Amino acid sequence: MIGLGESLIGLIRLGDIVLYLTPTTLTLFLTAVGFTVVMALSRPETQVELVFGMDGYKKSEMPMGEIKFRRYMAIVCGVATAGAMITGDIFDFALFVTLAGIADVGIVAASKKPQVLDAAYQYGMTLMIAGLPLFGAAALVLGTAGTLSLHELDTIRVSGVVAVLFILGVLGEIGVAPFYAAKARLFRALGAPYIIMIHVSTLLIIVRTVEIIVTLL
Amino acid sequence: MRIGDAWNALSDPRMVPRLFAAMVVLVLLMGMVTTYTYQGDKLYPKVLNPESPLDPYDRGGAPLREPGDVKAQYPENAPKLGWITSYLTPLTTWLAEKTRHLGTTIVSHPGGVIDEILYYTRGLDTVLETSILMMAFVVASWLITKED
Repeated sequence: MIGLGESLIGLIRLGDIVLYLTPTTLTLFLTAVGFTVVMALSRPETQVELVFGMDGYKKSEMPMGEIKFRRYMAIVCGVATAGAMITGDIFDFALFVTLAGIADVGIVAASKKPQVLDAAYQYGMTLMIAGLPLFGAAALVLGTAGTLSLHELDTIRVSGVVAVLFILGVLGEIGVAPFYAAKARLFRALGAPYIIMIHVSTLLIIVRTVEIIVTLL
Repeated sequence: MRIGDAWNALSDPRMVPRLFAAMVVLVLLMGMVTTYTYQGDKLYPKVLNPESPLDPYDRGGAPLREPGDVKAQYPENAPKLGWITSYLTPLTTWLAEKTRHLGTTIVSHPGGVIDEILYYTRGLDTVLETSILMMAFVVASWLITKED
């Protein structure tokens, strides 16, 4: 079994799915886990807005139910991201990415504002479309290479179109992040600490996707 | 069209799935003209035996006595490989013995190659699939039940 170009620290054998730890994947895994713990313990700050035209201000607070829901989704997203960091199986990775993606949409959809919910609906549509290229790529890898295990795929080349399909699928699943960053003030908006989880998971998954693409080609 | 107009069009969330779907269609069209090699030797082995009461689904073995004929990526990680494939519930065994074709309902009973994959060789996938489904229902129920 190959450590994908690095020294292997350990393997977690779950039947055909073999999770593996190398210095890179272990670092990414610990980053995801650590950030999830910080996220679970942190509390959102209260936003104070000045009222225009008079000497006053108003506080906008998130209701407790919304905080709890967002925190739950952020934890699920963090766990899914951590799993995606160490998995050694391309179909398993696709499932972890899908789980992170649906938790991302959950974080956005917790809001009560109609325009945010409209946007979340569109992201959900993107997520559903992305299922086709993502799992289609995994199926094509299985058909052309005969295996889903990244340890074996390291020595087998697959078609470039499959890699492009895979990238497209991952982009669709985690594509919420850049659009949502443009929409909301990332760090100070309502529900702020949990929104950052979307971005952390996106960055980590993109790093991992690059590694998998290198393995495929 | 100026680049600013393009960015403004993109800032509308309704454009995102449309643009993405167009990109997917483009790559899929590219994929149609590509040739692929096919690894048929990695399939799960199966011998068709018309005499068997489990005919199209028979993969060898006897329930609790000998394992069926299955492949795994890492057989060393699955020491009990094949036992789930060969398993039949008492009801299915009875159906297979008494009737000609009802034994094939093994697909809806515990045992068989699908259960072998789902719950043994690729068990983590099953956990994740159900987790994704659960998250989808959690989000949907949150949207429906929250007040106002």
